[in-house]
Amino acid sequence: MQVTGTSGRPAPLPRSARYYRVRKVLQPWFYNSALIFICVLMLLPVLGTLNISFRRQVDVQRKPPVLFPCDTPERSFDIRACRFVLEGYERIIGPKPNPNALFGVELAGRMISTYLPNTLLYALGASVIVTTLAGMAGYAFSRYHFRLRRTLMVAILAITGIPLLTNLIALYQMGVTLRKAFPGYEERIFLIFVYVGFFLPFSIWIVKSFFDTIPRELEEASFIDGCTPFESLWRIVTPLATPGLASAFLLSFVGVWNEFIAGYLLVSKNTLKTAMFGLYDFIGQFVIGYQVLAAACILIALPVVILFLFTRQVFFRAMVEGALKG
Amino acid sequence: MTGSRSSSGVRIRQGFFSRTLPFWLLLPTLIVLAAVQFYPAFYSIFLSTQEFQAGNMKYVGLRNYERVFSTSTFSDSLFITFAFLAGYATLTLVSSFVVALFLNRKLRLSSLYLTVIFIPWVLSDVIVGLVFRLFVVPDYGLLSSFFADPALFGPPNGVSILTTPPPPQVVPGIPLPPAPALIYLIFASAWKAVPFTTVLILAALQTVPREILESASIDGASAFNSFRFITFPLVLPTMVVALFNLTLGGVNGVGMVFSLTNGGPGTATEVLSFLLYTIGFGRLEFGRAAALSVFMAVINLALILFTLRLSRTGRA
Amino acid sequence: MSTKRNLVLAGTTLALAFLVACGGDATPTQAPTRPPTEAVQATEASQATEAPLPTDTAAPAAEAQQFITWYQYDEQNEDPKSDERVGNAYLRKTIPLFNEQFSGKLTWVNQPQAWDKMTLALVAAVQGGGEVPDLMHTGSGELVTLYNNGAVEDLTDWIKSMPWFSDLDPNAVQACTAPDGRIYCVPVSEQPQLVFYWSEHFPNGYPKTPEDFLKQAEELKQKNVYAITYFGSTDFDGEGTTRYFWMAVSSFGGTFDDGQGNMRLNTPENVNAIEFMREIVAKGYSPEIVFAGKFQEEEPMKTAEAASFPTGVFGYRYVNPLKSPSGKEYNTKTEKDMLDAIEAGDVKLSSFVAPEGQKPSCGLSVSGFVIPKGAKNMDGAKQYLNWIMDPQNNPDWVQAPGAGLPALGSIRAAQTFQTTFYKQAIEATAGLCKPWYGSLTKLPDAKKVIATAIYRLIKEDPTADIAAELTKAQDEYNNNK
Repeated sequence: MQVTGTSGRPAPLPRSARYYRVRKVLQPWFYNSALIFICVLMLLPVLGTLNISFRRQVDVQRKPPVLFPCDTPERSFDIRACRFVLEGYERIIGPKPNPNALFGVELAGRMISTYLPNTLLYALGASVIVTTLAGMAGYAFSRYHFRLRRTLMVAILAITGIPLLTNLIALYQMGVTLRKAFPGYEERIFLIFVYVGFFLPFSIWIVKSFFDTIPRELEEASFIDGCTPFESLWRIVTPLATPGLASAFLLSFVGVWNEFIAGYLLVSKNTLKTAMFGLYDFIGQFVIGYQVLAAACILIALPVVILFLFTRQVFFRAMVEGALKG
Repeated sequence: MTGSRSSSGVRIRQGFFSRTLPFWLLLPTLIVLAAVQFYPAFYSIFLSTQEFQAGNMKYVGLRNYERVFSTSTFSDSLFITFAFLAGYATLTLVSSFVVALFLNRKLRLSSLYLTVIFIPWVLSDVIVGLVFRLFVVPDYGLLSSFFADPALFGPPNGVSILTTPPPPQVVPGIPLPPAPALIYLIFASAWKAVPFTTVLILAALQTVPREILESASIDGASAFNSFRFITFPLVLPTMVVALFNLTLGGVNGVGMVFSLTNGGPGTATEVLSFLLYTIGFGRLEFGRAAALSVFMAVINLALILFTLRLSRTGRA
Repeated sequence: MSTKRNLVLAGTTLALAFLVACGGDATPTQAPTRPPTEAVQATEASQATEAPLPTDTAAPAAEAQQFITWYQYDEQNEDPKSDERVGNAYLRKTIPLFNEQFSGKLTWVNQPQAWDKMTLALVAAVQGGGEVPDLMHTGSGELVTLYNNGAVEDLTDWIKSMPWFSDLDPNAVQACTAPDGRIYCVPVSEQPQLVFYWSEHFPNGYPKTPEDFLKQAEELKQKNVYAITYFGSTDFDGEGTTRYFWMAVSSFGGTFDDGQGNMRLNTPENVNAIEFMREIVAKGYSPEIVFAGKFQEEEPMKTAEAASFPTGVFGYRYVNPLKSPSGKEYNTKTEKDMLDAIEAGDVKLSSFVAPEGQKPSCGLSVSGFVIPKGAKNMDGAKQYLNWIMDPQNNPDWVQAPGAGLPALGSIRAAQTFQTTFYKQAIEATAGLCKPWYGSLTKLPDAKKVIATAIYRLIKEDPTADIAAELTKAQDEYNNNK
């Protein structure tokens, strides 16, 4: 049977039904195994870190290194001989018996008692404010056509290009001036303010593109019902824009959580410093205590990874909206 | 009722507050950005003309720029940054594209795969760098026994990724080809960047209409041809956006260099952002650091405006 | 919708975690033990995350003046395995003692800082008008940088009027003197450089000349032992310049400067020294890890895979646990290990090798205090310094945070310093050591330029022309001074 394609040239020989049947069975199998391979590849560094974090000091310092600390004098791998311990984590967490604390154990390690709570506070504070401001600004950009609108939008995106590093010199001096001017000056509030400035521009673009997808008719209907624009924004648009606001919130949260330099330089009291500073401190302290460093990495990363697992859809949408539709 | 602009189409209560609503909505944002972004940027420009001498600031004109740009450290760093960006962007784009093509099949576990693949993105630069460092520390890193084997790599001590010097320069004065540490840095950075780029490309792939691909297939187009003439052109604008995103992130990212190689061995991984860090906060030459940061800001702004233009025309 | 539910869930979890984290710290039972200082530290006590200071129970005075120090040590870090446990423990022990002695007059509050960021933090604080401590513990290597940035007070007149001034080692005073000839720091402990070596690997003592060294190194190599390990990377902004690189260069009779504030690297002595260092690398007499950055180079010394380790005298504190070539273990994982090994004669101290007719040399830095510009309680700081200089308290300080030899001549006779370790250290360094920077003034720049150049010559490009590279490096510094 000869079939002529639309282009006029002869089409290739049609494949047999059996070919398609085999392909239908094999193809998903092929794709699945390829993807599993990719996933394992992406997870290897994480698994490796876990592997290191549960070792004893002596196993960390083996020469040559062993892949798993499971060798015995007789065999190179014996699952029963595995020596995985919590030493690394213990040194980060620093559990100390204390009859008065919850469960009778006090977590004395700086990382748990000071740095992580600080980071959480900064991340939550900054992302709440970022979300609010980005919501307001995004709405204005999406709904109103005023003079300089385009210019302002481009300008806001363009400032993300200013390197953060030397901004810090100026910001540091600003903090000092503020401290002198206001007796109630609080370093933490200033740091949160700085973080808001860092993460606001990108968030505005994300939120704006979400607002753009909400039909204007809804608001117009509410105007007819006698709502002021502000009421309309609060009651009608905000609920619909929640996914966009959530994206802004999450991206800022993760951003602040992972930020190092500003949190390090703008806060002078050690008790107010962040988890990334704690990690930096450990790098200096545990020169050869790789299991401690690995454990610290795991502990710091765990909260954001869990957060991400719960809210991944929001992340994916935010990426696409923010990067492509801007 | 035909206008699409709410301000013109619908009669609303026209109080002063309502009329100026956009202004009030934008005001807090503008205040924050002016304080945290614009003011420091201008301050950097000012600072780049100053020098601290015995505790006092002194105007030195363009001397700081001259001093930064005339050093071989700076020109080396430019080439290293360029090599890093080229490797990083290419590796990330190609591998993301492959991963996205796989993910684009409707499989039952697709979303699980995507989630797993995405995890590196939420990790901090500093952590990723440190983790990758742990694997290759000479003597103790899990991968180092392989690299340090004198039987496989040259005597006297075998090699370590962190300490092997770059190969001899092809053109004298230009630090290329790069050192193994830089290549390793590229891998670590790409590992962290692949998730983001994959999601972007995947989103673009999903906009390619299935019907067109199917009808092309019925018409006898080979898989390669339908990829080349249908899929690729539709994904290209996204790739360009992703490329610039990567470049921008690559120019400014310092955390990973910081914890992975700290610029070493020698100066083999001193990219511009790291140079800025060491001049500013390592050597306390704030004036020179400011000069370098002005230079970098100009590059960044050019990149951003260029991306913006491209993505706007690409979407039309 | 499920996304939204997840969000709420995650948010609640986080909020709860936060509450627990904060609540856990502010356990109500801690409150009753701390009221005495509530007045002094009202602002800090209100912060939920503030851990209680150990001074709290000891300092009853309400009107006692606070004075603030910056140390790289942290009295609240009780990790017995921390690298800085000695200094940490010293502060933990001494702060309450001091506060008791000065009860009603002074309250000593310490704010720990990262050692390699302290100078930056102080310069930033002074130039920005931020909060500065009343005293900062620092090394003389940082002094010129602090001075250039106008961050420290001139102490010349005060220090010269002190009774203990005449007892100070002139070299130590010299190290505390800035380019303008004035004294800006108070030297308490001297940290000269020397070589720690395993006596089993060098049974006839440490080699005296480079030729002898290379000969023995070759023999050791046959036994799979590296003759030497050292800080060879460009890490920490060129820290290597101040350590092994300077030890080798100065022992060959070289210098990094011309005495007029210019860098001069291209001298025959320096070229010889670099050729020597280059040969060590090329022949594989030193392990690869010396170039890996951080302070990992000490590991081979600990296991006796490397036979010798040139470093500061404070090295005794960090190099442990130890395992001698014949397998004897010193395993308390504290500084006691090295001291025991020296006492037992397994490890010995020596000066570096020097060519025929040349005296070996070494780097000298001084550990002590600066008073930052803008210090609020300068008087308190001076009282504290006098307290540190008191023969009662001085040996403890020199031994723990000072990690070196006393700068006060009379203290060297103290019981503390009569051990084998101190005797050997004093003998190996007496009168030989000098600061690496000479008349240079832009030290952070110089450090980086020199370390990069030497690293490049000995490791990265072992065929490059030494003289040409050195000239290039010195020009880069001199042109941009």
